[in-house]
Amino acid sequence: MSSRRAFMRSGAMALFATGIAGGIPAFITRVAAAGMPPAPYKKNKVLVCIFQRGAMDGLMAVTPFSDMELKKARPNLFMDPTNGAGKLFDLDGQFGLHPSFASLQPFFADKRLAIAHGVGSPNNTRSHFDAQDYMESGTPFSKSTSSGWLNRAVGLMGHDASPFRAVSITGALPRSLYGSQEALAISNLADFALQTKGNPMAANLTAGSFEELYEQTSNRLLNRAGKESFEALKMLNVNDIKNYQPVAGVVYPNSPLGNSLKQIAVLIKMNIGLEVAFAESGGWDTHFNQGTLNGVFARNVRDFSDSIAAFWNDMSGYQDDVTVMTMTEFGRTVAQNGTGGTDHGRASCSFILGNDVQGGKVYQQIGSLAKEQLEDQRDLPVTTDFRSVFSGVANKHLNINNNNVLFPKWEGKALEILKG
Amino acid sequence: MKFAKVILFCLAITATFGFSSLVDDPIPYKKFGYTPQQAAARLLDRFSFGAKPGQVEAVVSMGLENWLEQQFAANLPNEGLNKRLAAFKSLSLNNDTIVNRYLNAGQVIRLATRKGIINRDSIKGDPKEYREQVRVIMEQEGYKPILELHRELVNQKVLSAAYSNNQLQEVLTDFWFNHFNVSVTKNQCQQYVYTYERDAIRPNVMGKFKDLLLATAQHPAMLEYLDNASSVSIKNQPRANMAAPRNARGLNENYAREVMELHTLGVDGGYTQADVTTVAKALTGWTVMPLAKDAPARNLLERLNPAQLERRGFVMKGDFLFRADQHDNEAKTILNKNFPANGGYQEGIDVLTMLAEHPSTTKFICTKLATRFVSDTPSASLIKNMVKTFQSTDGDIKAVLRTMVYDPAFWKKSVSHEKVKSPFEMVISAVRATNAQVIQPFQLFNWCTKMGQRFYYYQAPTGFPDRASNWINTGALLNRMNFGLAFASQKIPGVRMDLAALNNYHEPESAIDALTVYSNILLPQRDHAANIKRLIPLVNDDAVEEKISKAATVDKAAEQMILDKGTKNMLSQVVGIIIGSPEFQRK
Repeated sequence: MSSRRAFMRSGAMALFATGIAGGIPAFITRVAAAGMPPAPYKKNKVLVCIFQRGAMDGLMAVTPFSDMELKKARPNLFMDPTNGAGKLFDLDGQFGLHPSFASLQPFFADKRLAIAHGVGSPNNTRSHFDAQDYMESGTPFSKSTSSGWLNRAVGLMGHDASPFRAVSITGALPRSLYGSQEALAISNLADFALQTKGNPMAANLTAGSFEELYEQTSNRLLNRAGKESFEALKMLNVNDIKNYQPVAGVVYPNSPLGNSLKQIAVLIKMNIGLEVAFAESGGWDTHFNQGTLNGVFARNVRDFSDSIAAFWNDMSGYQDDVTVMTMTEFGRTVAQNGTGGTDHGRASCSFILGNDVQGGKVYQQIGSLAKEQLEDQRDLPVTTDFRSVFSGVANKHLNINNNNVLFPKWEGKALEILKG
Repeated sequence: MKFAKVILFCLAITATFGFSSLVDDPIPYKKFGYTPQQAAARLLDRFSFGAKPGQVEAVVSMGLENWLEQQFAANLPNEGLNKRLAAFKSLSLNNDTIVNRYLNAGQVIRLATRKGIINRDSIKGDPKEYREQVRVIMEQEGYKPILELHRELVNQKVLSAAYSNNQLQEVLTDFWFNHFNVSVTKNQCQQYVYTYERDAIRPNVMGKFKDLLLATAQHPAMLEYLDNASSVSIKNQPRANMAAPRNARGLNENYAREVMELHTLGVDGGYTQADVTTVAKALTGWTVMPLAKDAPARNLLERLNPAQLERRGFVMKGDFLFRADQHDNEAKTILNKNFPANGGYQEGIDVLTMLAEHPSTTKFICTKLATRFVSDTPSASLIKNMVKTFQSTDGDIKAVLRTMVYDPAFWKKSVSHEKVKSPFEMVISAVRATNAQVIQPFQLFNWCTKMGQRFYYYQAPTGFPDRASNWINTGALLNRMNFGLAFASQKIPGVRMDLAALNNYHEPESAIDALTVYSNILLPQRDHAANIKRLIPLVNDDAVEEKISKAATVDKAAEQMILDKGTKNMLSQVVGIIIGSPEFQRK
């Protein structure tokens, strides 16, 4: 019994009691004192990137319906604007938007949504992994680039070091955000707390211990991630996230993308220094029974479109500061394959939404889809380098002009897609 | 005197001969300053899902080399594990039974249509009511929901990793499954994922690489996951007596590409787009036996005469079916090698064997193994030695691993504890380190998901990247700390442990004492001094006594709470901190 008593006095009590007065880890005090969202950061421009993993069929999303070669190449997948109930939205007499984009189409009509078509990489790899790697690193012929282009963008902006400056709503950090600038990956913001329920004194000490241990570790990765975690903890009010109410009338689809964009909206409204946000949308690898008006592709597009539209409407009051840009690693074969789908191809398209956008236009230099005009006689050739689109948006919206850092060894020109 | 000399001479000879054979050499840890205990801990870190209490000493006393060979043999009895797995109904079933019992979405719809719950035009309706009707019918007819199958799949992995005595076999099953990834997220292959692991992966994880490759290539899970099952030659129209599956009327390159990029040569392995297309052609006709009882193809197949099929070049091997009528018969050139026309089934085998033996493959596979077991950036000399063994043993995985462990590169101090555990490794190592009883394994799967590893659900054929930076980021790290706390305070349902028992019910004298003792139990043979020193000021604050008495007057309830729960609470706190600490994340 005596050892137990000794233990309770000297050790356990100390362990549990340090937090009571004076010993509370500094960050907990700061958060508690703040009470309200601290908002220590001035309102910055925010770029929201959505990566469509799996390679979206750009020719079905935004169809060059006036080219009869396409109809020949995909007899079961071709749609056009005159085709009955499920017809395409005619954008300009040449291109038509898939009907499942109904919720985004109005933004094209009021010139805030632009589409860049024929977009892709000069590297002709048709491997998902490689093409994503190249697109996200921003260096299509160099695998050894350790940073991602969005991380470099964050570095070039050079603003306050908020731990929420670059956030990816994913389980793991995407390649785009690898690099020396702090970036946070989290799939659910509400989990962003040390879950030490019950005794508040113990909770404080636990948090303090973790912070000490991560500061101590010789493993640089763990050390850095630990530091970032504790800084972020100091700033995020989990209750605001749990009780978040979007703008009246806005309903986010209950899908991974819908939930990701909703969380990005929360972060933007918290004013905690967010500048680059990243989300993912999956299921675009439609080798098999892709469908037309209905089916896998249409379902995916509906979710994609409805999620972005909900986000944009929820951004009411913030829209001047926010731009959304979508990307996908490559497009798909012009011809349908033997299993009602399309295989890995080359160029696809990108959507850019924002008040600064010179929208209502399809930016493209797409030629004929006759077989002999295609890349390897099968794929939509890349006529716009993805770096032209990315830098066009980053230069104007984020006010970054150093394109040789953003995209090393690239000498192309940014696409004039934003105003100013 | 003379006699003594003879004895010495004999001893010398024995010693010389002893050192002449590679395997009889000791593992070279001493040269790098490891004690046998430290070396045993290192082996357990890399070749098991973590040391159990007392296991370091057990490995030292049997000899590190012997322990390794025992793990390579993978034939230790597993009664404890088998008892835990006995309740799972799907683990011993074959694909045929699974497919006709655990219905996937398409089969459920066909069943519901047949029963008149839905008709083809009105699948919508009230989903809740529809689901309930479907559930009742499935129960009546003896069908089971596919989620039950997935649950057992997940549970068996957690339990096998935690409790199998053949730890290396489980570690390698995890590794090779990830290398040849398939995913429950794809409807067409989800019913086969467990048998894939059981029949194609686990029996081959320490055998010849080409056997592993062939086993995966012919398993229904892979055939469906990467679409080869529906890839057919455009040249040969399907015969009238074998109805091709609906929508299956052409070439699909998906498997052909990934087998070269991800499974064998590696993305820089020297193949072209033309090679991809031609490999796809060589593998046309490689498909799955029609298993679903309600599928028209099965009825047709059952009516056909096997001898006749064989004469026409068809091959049936378990659930694998080679359809000669859908195979591209033309001559082919792949990686500059010619394959004559009419190669039939053997052509695919030859192509895959060529890929398995290709120098690019050898290098790619050895690098991947070294990355998993040694460091995220393995040295070129280590890879070179492993490659040599791979080539001289016809791709014997066991021999390649043996070369790795006996190589000095494995024992360099710079790579010690530099690998970061994947979430699954971290969770299982916590279970093993604390002798925890896992009654609800699925709870641990949920934690892995939160930490970024939803195993069996990884959609891309790449599998999870095996790099620390993939696992460690702010959000995931916080969840690792939270896991440590929830786990040790027994807040995870169905996961129980007796922390006091780990120290033979000796109560620690102080919190620092508890930290010291339990750090050594949970992370044996590591240097904890710096960490503990760091925490001392936090715990032994000068003003601590004053604060305690202040706390006692200010907050009687809090003090009472502490006293009530006493040591047990403190212990779980300390263990939670250790499990969430950076040191525990490393292996």
